[in-house]
Amino acid sequence: MAISYLRRAYSSFAAHVFDIPPRLMAVLFFLILLLLPTCGLSSYYMWILIYANIIAIFALSWDLLVGRTGLISLGHALFFGIGGYSTALLFRHYGLPLWITIPVAVLLGALAGMIIGFPCLRVKGPYLALVTMAFPLIVSNIIKWSPLNPVFKGEIGIRASPFFPFLPIRQQRIAEYYLTLLLLFISAVIIYKIANSKTGIVFISILDDEVAAKACGINVTKYKIMSFIISSMFASLAGSIQAHFLKNANPSMFSLTLSFVPIIVTFLGGIGSIYGAIVGTYIYYILDKYVLIYLLPVLLRNFNLALPRGFEHAKLIIFTSIVLIFIIRWPRGIARYVTDKLQDLEEARDLDERGPRIWKRYKKKEKS
Amino acid sequence: MIEEIIIFGGIASGVYALLALGFTLIYGISGIVNLAHGSFYMLGAYLFSFITALSLLEPETMSNSILALVLAVILVAIIGSAIFRLAIHPIIGDEVAVMVVTVSLAIIFQQLILIIFGVSFLPVMWPKGSILTTSFRIFGVTVDYSRVLAFVASMILFIALSIFIKWTKIGKAMRAVSQDREAAMLMGINTERLYMLTMAISAMLAATAGILITTSTTRHAGVYMWLHPLALSFAIVILGGLGSIKGSLIGAFIIGYAEQTVAITVPEGGAIIGVVPLTVMVLVLLLRPKGLFGKRIEMEE
Repeated sequence: MAISYLRRAYSSFAAHVFDIPPRLMAVLFFLILLLLPTCGLSSYYMWILIYANIIAIFALSWDLLVGRTGLISLGHALFFGIGGYSTALLFRHYGLPLWITIPVAVLLGALAGMIIGFPCLRVKGPYLALVTMAFPLIVSNIIKWSPLNPVFKGEIGIRASPFFPFLPIRQQRIAEYYLTLLLLFISAVIIYKIANSKTGIVFISILDDEVAAKACGINVTKYKIMSFIISSMFASLAGSIQAHFLKNANPSMFSLTLSFVPIIVTFLGGIGSIYGAIVGTYIYYILDKYVLIYLLPVLLRNFNLALPRGFEHAKLIIFTSIVLIFIIRWPRGIARYVTDKLQDLEEARDLDERGPRIWKRYKKKEKS
Repeated sequence: MIEEIIIFGGIASGVYALLALGFTLIYGISGIVNLAHGSFYMLGAYLFSFITALSLLEPETMSNSILALVLAVILVAIIGSAIFRLAIHPIIGDEVAVMVVTVSLAIIFQQLILIIFGVSFLPVMWPKGSILTTSFRIFGVTVDYSRVLAFVASMILFIALSIFIKWTKIGKAMRAVSQDREAAMLMGINTERLYMLTMAISAMLAATAGILITTSTTRHAGVYMWLHPLALSFAIVILGGLGSIKGSLIGAFIIGYAEQTVAITVPEGGAIIGVVPLTVMVLVLLLRPKGLFGKRIEMEE
């Protein structure tokens, strides 16, 4: 009796949830994020959320470049690091305030995107991935090189100014949270608008079939560079926010692990969609910093168990294995799975036809 | 100084050629860009060190070391073919997905090593007292016998493998598959098993190179040691052209000499050595996207 009632309640709930239009879902999602600090979270959880906001911007930029335009980049941390280092250097050598350093970092990021983008367009596919992977390795090696230590401070990194040094620590976290959330919202809206404008359609046409796009009279080179520049702008925005937030810019901003974070996150959420990158980031950081660090040990303690030593390193294995499983078995991502339910068949098929080959091979069979 | 560059550059280049050969072989035959190649190198060195440490209970002899080398190489080959079967085979044909998967595998291996062995260095060396730990002087340069062994062994392996690919039946099948997969399948070649074999050979070469290089240069294994050989192998292979064996030999010599020149002439050059292959690779890709001897290449002009 109770079970059948619950089942009926669930089915009516599911029917209603999947009737909500996606835009409303997005607004609801941001509303929840807006209200989160009022729940009295400790400053550690605020820290996680702020960090998730920053990485969400970074993942969005990766998703625009790879998921929408199909230019595979395995070294996106390059732009992140350029953003971080340029803010920190501007602060250290010229003492500029952060409302100047962040825009300048974004502009420098755009410049870097152009400089890297032009030559990268001569190569394609795996070659492009190799070249993009090589750049951050080169830059981080140069930064760690000891003769340049007076400028870059080697492994220690350069100090940057915090956002709100005049507030007490708790208010500081809340202010930082709202600032990063605002920046994330603005970036998401801009990227959404770009992706759904004429330019965005051109990006998708390049992804689908570059030769056909060229045959239609599209200046493919111009649009590819545009994609590179937009993407690097947002990545370096994320980098410069992180430098101010952590008060430091160091060579780990160029690390391969960081380049890998947007890949994990977008595959978790669904590649080629704006919401996917954001949802994936939150899932990743909640799993990474809350479930695996806090919830799991508490659960295990109930059974008189403890986490094995070296678990800190095992987390990356878990997430990377998730990426592997997603790519090999379930390449459409979590958020996309939900939106397939949300949107009717036409739109779902439309989504199927977009997107890189990575998931195209797994086109859903048409429902009859 | 010039003698040093010539001798050490030559020795390094020989082993690099072996490292790059594995990378180019698996790409040329199956189109897999294996970014876990550096991990095989690392696994080789770690397993060698681990197995020699196990056999330390007995008197430390040369035969024990050689046994450890063979065992480590075979284990890495098994790991390589298992990876191919489980992770790469389902998505073969999609180069970009393969790259993401192999990078993920590389990161997984790095973390596994971090968990099992920690961040501290592991000694990777030939047994004390054997001739390989001594050195001799030639043209005023002190050269270790271990480096000579590394160079000679890798050249022998390189030539043996070239002959294997050129003359044996399996080698012919490999070349057939690289030319036209479907036609080769119609001729009764089991491509899947061939890919697995190629992956095993490639992993073996990487592991051998790993053991030979670490025993003759740094003599210890660290967690992040996989990045430099990976960068090296794709730089060499792109320089010589993906899928070309002759190209990988010549590319190895160019990169090896460039690296030694920088290491010896530039101040603090040892720290910046990792930049050299990557910079050469980027320059080559930008100036001459086909590489020097590239065959199987699709490029935009």
